[in-house]
Amino acid sequence: MSSITQTFQRLQERGEKAFIPFLTAGDPSIEISEQLILELDRIGADIIEIGIPYSDPLADGPTIQAAALRALNGGVRLPDVLDMVRRLRPQVQASLVLFTYANPVFQWGIERFFETAREVGANGVIIPDLPLEESEEALAAAAKNGVDLIPLVAPTSQQRIAKLCAQGQGFIYCVAALGVTGVRDTLSEDLPQVVANVKQHTNLPVAVGFGVGHPEQAETIGRYADGVIVGSALVKRVGPIADALAAGDLALVEEKKRELIEFAASLKAPLRPSGAQV
Amino acid sequence: MTLIKVCGIKTRAAYDKLIELRADYVGFVFAKSKRQVTAEQVADLVASVGQKRPAHVGVFVNETLEELLRIAEVAQLDVLQLHGEESPEFCRDLRDRTGCQVWKAWGVKNDDRDAELGAYTDVVDAILLDNDRGGTGEKFPWGAIPALRAYTKNLPLFIAGGLHPDNVGELLASHLTDGVDVSSGVESEGVKDLAKIKAFVTKVRESNMTKTYPDQRGRFGKFGGKFVPETLMSALEQLERDYETYTKDPEFIEQLRYYLHVYSGRPTSLYYAKNLTEKLGGAKVYLKREDLNHTGAHKINNCLGQGLLAKMTGKKRVIAETGAGQHGVATATVSALLGLECTVFMGEEDIERQKLNVFRMKLMGAEVIPATSGTKTLKDATNEAIRHWVEHVEDTFYIIGSVVGPHPYPMIVRDFQRIIGDETRQQILELEGRLPDTIVACVGGGSNAMGIFYPFLNDESVDLIGVEASGKGIDTEEHAATITLGRPGIIHGSLTYLLQDEYGQVQPAHSISAGLDYPGIGPEHAHLADTKRATYVPITDDEALESFQLLSRIEGIIPALESSHAIAQVVKLAPTLPKDHIIVVSLSGRGDKDVHSVAQALGGIEV
Repeated sequence: MSSITQTFQRLQERGEKAFIPFLTAGDPSIEISEQLILELDRIGADIIEIGIPYSDPLADGPTIQAAALRALNGGVRLPDVLDMVRRLRPQVQASLVLFTYANPVFQWGIERFFETAREVGANGVIIPDLPLEESEEALAAAAKNGVDLIPLVAPTSQQRIAKLCAQGQGFIYCVAALGVTGVRDTLSEDLPQVVANVKQHTNLPVAVGFGVGHPEQAETIGRYADGVIVGSALVKRVGPIADALAAGDLALVEEKKRELIEFAASLKAPLRPSGAQV
Repeated sequence: MTLIKVCGIKTRAAYDKLIELRADYVGFVFAKSKRQVTAEQVADLVASVGQKRPAHVGVFVNETLEELLRIAEVAQLDVLQLHGEESPEFCRDLRDRTGCQVWKAWGVKNDDRDAELGAYTDVVDAILLDNDRGGTGEKFPWGAIPALRAYTKNLPLFIAGGLHPDNVGELLASHLTDGVDVSSGVESEGVKDLAKIKAFVTKVRESNMTKTYPDQRGRFGKFGGKFVPETLMSALEQLERDYETYTKDPEFIEQLRYYLHVYSGRPTSLYYAKNLTEKLGGAKVYLKREDLNHTGAHKINNCLGQGLLAKMTGKKRVIAETGAGQHGVATATVSALLGLECTVFMGEEDIERQKLNVFRMKLMGAEVIPATSGTKTLKDATNEAIRHWVEHVEDTFYIIGSVVGPHPYPMIVRDFQRIIGDETRQQILELEGRLPDTIVACVGGGSNAMGIFYPFLNDESVDLIGVEASGKGIDTEEHAATITLGRPGIIHGSLTYLLQDEYGQVQPAHSISAGLDYPGIGPEHAHLADTKRATYVPITDDEALESFQLLSRIEGIIPALESSHAIAQVVKLAPTLPKDHIIVVSLSGRGDKDVHSVAQALGGIEV
């Protein structure tokens, strides 16, 4: 059983749901990303998605596009991110998942990418523009290296759900909304039904992401899914850190980091078993 | 496009049907046969027919020269098709004495005797292959066709004998065929059956829209595919099914033909550029005048196709990306025509560079949304269009403007653009009696190039040259020479050549021409480059600017800056080639939209 699946199992035994935050690596610097990830682990993040910055992030809205641009402008490239993961691995309890577009993986080499992921201690990989039909080589490389290639299921997947689940590893990433990443005020009313539908096809845990940005939404999703993924709402709070850093105001950097972590903690809280102490 | 001839017509009803279906040739049999007619009967039959009629082909067996000339005159024949033992000398004499084309029918022996066909290559305009007994309605062994082509060189080949609606598709799928000839295959009880004629014509036209690449996975060799978010996968699968269904639907085919013809003004002419040819002093240069299309570029061909598809599949709303604005304008145009709501994504930078086109789009009711991410050009406009599509996939049709994007788009756009090559093929055969030696087209995403290349892919004798924009030079960082300098990578849903750094970050492209300013290229071009079926060469901004002025000055044709790249390659190439070498250039668009940029580049002239 993979480390990610074990994480979910432990949570389930405690009646708890997974909190899965996302940050873009190197935004605004590798150093700050590293600090934020350590803090997220400390406040109880169960799986942490680490975004590899990319020039053309097709599945992302403006918030994460801006984060990627900040990281790339700071000169952050794939080896920097992998080195960061290597340093973090022994220090964090959370499972670590690399979120990357397909082209950086292709240029690195598919086989080599999964080998490197294993070697630096990543537990899973998400490639949003690599649909099942193009995944054959990546699935094999993932299995060989014991790194989960986590599939996405969309609101439009319908007849495709069965085959997506059949090839799934780690957990199923259930896309909450039509569209790109970014906070939305309301969740689709069909969401519980979509998750239930996915669960009919798999025993893997199901986590919901895209558009989730409030503790109330996390609580609602926690009632029917196994995990909640929060990206843009956190990344939006990296913006002020970047601004403070650019202005050389280190006190403000610390303050904004604290605000981000407090917000993250508020997202995890409703996912703990009722009455549990934080 | 495969030419269609229906033979043995005796009635006005059948003749009118052929006009309605726009068959290319109608055959009248003057030799002894149950379908025999006289010159006078034909004259009556075709009386008071308008200009738009199929060409008249007279079928003869060992007829005398005098009688041939008389019948040709009376029956208003355009082609004399000879089935007897007419010698090459006789054919030459006949061709010299009439204004008609002369076709030699040949009973395929499938042995050494077929080599005798070689003697006819210079004295007739086409060869019609039939079984050795002629007119019996039986097939000859089609496997002999490639060997026969060696004897007939570049002459158009018509296939006759035993064709009917149910086997013509097989012929066209397996053999390169310039034309098909049918008679008994469209008859019921010895009489022409109008329904069968229609079925036959429809089948041929459908076959012209099918292809060998891409494969089931949407791959052209190793390139192509569907690298998109899961949210779009169902929509792409649906699009594939809709495309298969509707492009076989006679109503769709007919409507597309109608709009291409009466709305866009097709066929566009193939113009012999005499002044340019003389100036360059080498190869003979023809221009395929896509600039004469409505909206001034080839983009409308594809927009009419995809717009009709959107309409027929019940979508009310379309989106598009645009660089120079030509595709945006074509999409806005078709949306106005078909009553669709239209949103166009355009890089903020390009909006500034192409104000005129932005105004045109708005005038026709389109909404223009600036793409403010990344380099603020075509690449980013495409990103924004895809992101928007992900969110509105359920009610929105995405009209991609080039042979790029995830499968099935590169195939769809190519199929809608192949009309450029189909027409070119037919026109050059009419004008020169043979295929061109070289075809040159500019390549950004590559839709006009793919359109003109595609019908010639199997003609090994035709050199295909794609011209990339190398901006300020391939030794600088400001270029768009994707095949020359890129590596395989993924952009906009497709695996293809891509300008990128060692970690796969997409690098910005540069070209003075906004339409070529793109870091990727259509995946089929990547495949053609890898298999060496086509070659791709770079042309700089400066070279393009020179050709822009040259063509304006000596031919009175202002080419688009994109097309000027293709012209620039011809300027280099033609002088090195002999005078009997034929080059066809795709003049993909007109240059009015570019006069501002050109004036600026030439030294701050205000326009």
